[in-house]
Amino acid sequence: MKLISISFCNFRSFYGRTPEMFLAVDEVKNTTVIHGNNGVGKTSILNGFTWVLYEKFSAAFASAEQLVNKRAVAEASPGQAVECYVEVTWEHDGKRYRAKRQSRVYRTESDVEAGKTDMFMLVTAGDGRWFVPDQHPDDIINQILPCSLHQYFFFDGERIEKIVRNDKKAEIAEATKMLLGVEVINRSIRHLAEAKRSLEAELRTIGDLEIKKLLKQHNNIESQVEAISKRSFEIQQEIEYQNIFKQEVAGRLRELGAVKELQERRQHLESQKSLLQKQLAKSKDNLQRFISNQGYSVLLSEKNIQFRNIIEKLKDAGGLKSGISREFVINLLNGSKCICGSYLHEHSQARKHVEQWLEKAGSSTVEETAIRMTAQVDEIDKQAVSFWQAVDTEQVRINETRQTLGQIETELQEIKEKLRKNPSEEIRDIEQRVEDIEVKISELIFEQGRNQQQTDTLNIELDDLNKQIAKQKLNEERQLLAQRRITATTDAIDRLSEVKTRQENHFRYSLEKRVQEIFSAISPAPYIPKISDKYELTLMENTLGVEMPVAASTGENQILSLSFISSIIDKVREWSGKKKMLMLPESSTFPIVMDSPFGSLDEISRRHIAKIVPEMANQLVVLVTKTQWRGELEEEIANRVGKEYILIYHSSKPDCEQDYIELRGVRYPLIRQSPNEFEYTEIVEVNRDVE
Amino acid sequence: MKKQSKVSSDLENTENNFDDIEDVQAPISTAPEDVRKIIEMVWQLEKNRLDRKSFGHISDDILTIIKGVVQ
Repeated sequence: MKLISISFCNFRSFYGRTPEMFLAVDEVKNTTVIHGNNGVGKTSILNGFTWVLYEKFSAAFASAEQLVNKRAVAEASPGQAVECYVEVTWEHDGKRYRAKRQSRVYRTESDVEAGKTDMFMLVTAGDGRWFVPDQHPDDIINQILPCSLHQYFFFDGERIEKIVRNDKKAEIAEATKMLLGVEVINRSIRHLAEAKRSLEAELRTIGDLEIKKLLKQHNNIESQVEAISKRSFEIQQEIEYQNIFKQEVAGRLRELGAVKELQERRQHLESQKSLLQKQLAKSKDNLQRFISNQGYSVLLSEKNIQFRNIIEKLKDAGGLKSGISREFVINLLNGSKCICGSYLHEHSQARKHVEQWLEKAGSSTVEETAIRMTAQVDEIDKQAVSFWQAVDTEQVRINETRQTLGQIETELQEIKEKLRKNPSEEIRDIEQRVEDIEVKISELIFEQGRNQQQTDTLNIELDDLNKQIAKQKLNEERQLLAQRRITATTDAIDRLSEVKTRQENHFRYSLEKRVQEIFSAISPAPYIPKISDKYELTLMENTLGVEMPVAASTGENQILSLSFISSIIDKVREWSGKKKMLMLPESSTFPIVMDSPFGSLDEISRRHIAKIVPEMANQLVVLVTKTQWRGELEEEIANRVGKEYILIYHSSKPDCEQDYIELRGVRYPLIRQSPNEFEYTEIVEVNRDVE
Repeated sequence: MKKQSKVSSDLENTENNFDDIEDVQAPISTAPEDVRKIIEMVWQLEKNRLDRKSFGHISDDILTIIKGVVQ
């Protein structure tokens, strides 16, 4: 943040609009000196900066609520608004920002009523076009230089030692952590860990994936089905083979004269049996087909009766009139012409005649539908009759076939018995073998049936598994995504923790080293500033090899504070200058605006600090009294001053003592007699071209 | 993080090199693209909220960042 200018309007002692005070921005001549006596507005200028940027006032800023210039209030008529504002311009990262904070008060008969405070901001990227930023002005300023750090850059030099007081240790530690980016890293780690927990909870809601288990089951069932199918093929072949074998074995009976006829009869009966079995199967199929195609017709007889009743009622009520249709009449009326050629104009007698037909005519659409449905219902009734006939016929056929089959079975059994009991051992043997083959075939057929049943069950299971697998695959994608997010978050946390460790090792020690260097250059005391692992700044002394905290004086604490601020500015600038460090505040250049600098310090320390601070800070604004400026401060800073202003106090006191300051050989008034009854402060720039 | 051990040993080597910014930033600059993006976006978010007292919904915003980056 590089401060460019500040201006006031009715702010505290500044009456009306002041000229814009441009600040020194040169790299070497980076210091702006503002001269003024006590109580004329130096602290108001310091607070002007903090009010615009952070809506904050310094501790010493008496009656912060009395922001508006008294003369401006006095001159306003009752009820009239008096505006007071401060406008600050600064540059950051190639952009110029112009912020204005304004407050309004309303004068009442006896008092002043405070209005609200508003903040306005405009930004330009250097092309001269100003625009209102998207973000809130406070957010923009906080990104550049966080509010909690402002007291280290805008401060009262007489009270600067307070930042290192014991009760402020935690505050300065927080500020240091913020400036070094530690706080950003800590919070990132903490909040990423919270986000990770949420992601893990999301993962749990997806549930344990059973996809592998399901796929294994799927594969198992598939191999079972395959094995059954293979076995089924084998069985089929085996049955065919056994049948041929049976025919061959049984065929041998035909070669034996004694049972030739018996065997031939048996073969005939068996072929008949096979034929009848096929016929029986066909009849059963027919029966099934009848029931599924026409079976419903026998259940509709009651509904058909209801339908006919409805139609009858419609007819009785005149709803289904035959003859001329309502639609036909409507067409004639719409066309405004009758079939006889007469025109059916509105309100004509002819039209009224035709319209009367609307009352008499029925709807052809309803009538057509009724006719069509009646035909369908009649058809259903006929179907019911033919269904029963067909079923009866088929039942008779089935019964007959079963009867014939029964007779054939009995005769075959008789033949078998005869052959079994045949006196010839050879015949008995052959018959036994035929029976064995039949048993074998029967077993194979049974196995085949069992396998078919098993295959059906397995196929149902497979369908079910496929559905489950598809669902799980969808979950698997969600799970993988959640896992990838958790992995990335864990990695981010690990890396941030590592950066934190490294940063502590590098930045903290590096900062400590710099504070020590600066402190030792300024202070004559042999004390050593230390930054603890909690980022607490303490002044230590080394007594007989043992480090002990020092009970530091105000002066020593002021030196420590200024050393710390200078070191921070120096190190953050150095780190940011090397590479864009996202965790650090965006500002790599810091201004120091210091009221009453180096208050309680002795001459040597003042001289050292006066030399170091303008070197460390990118920009310095000092607000000084004549006595604060004269001597070592003037000597050390003189060659760094780029801008200089005088605050001229116009006193309303009738016999006020005039005061002057001499700069570059020119005498400037510090106190003047006010031309009216009000006191106010005027800002005058020192002409630095005069030698 | 698999790199942890390497990272730690690197650290030991450079412990005395206090100002080695590259080394401090190395865990980020060597991170996979999505991890680097998450860190940078989270940093920006945290930085914007440094001075806010309430952290309400920041975890939700971070979740949104992670879900936006890793898709």
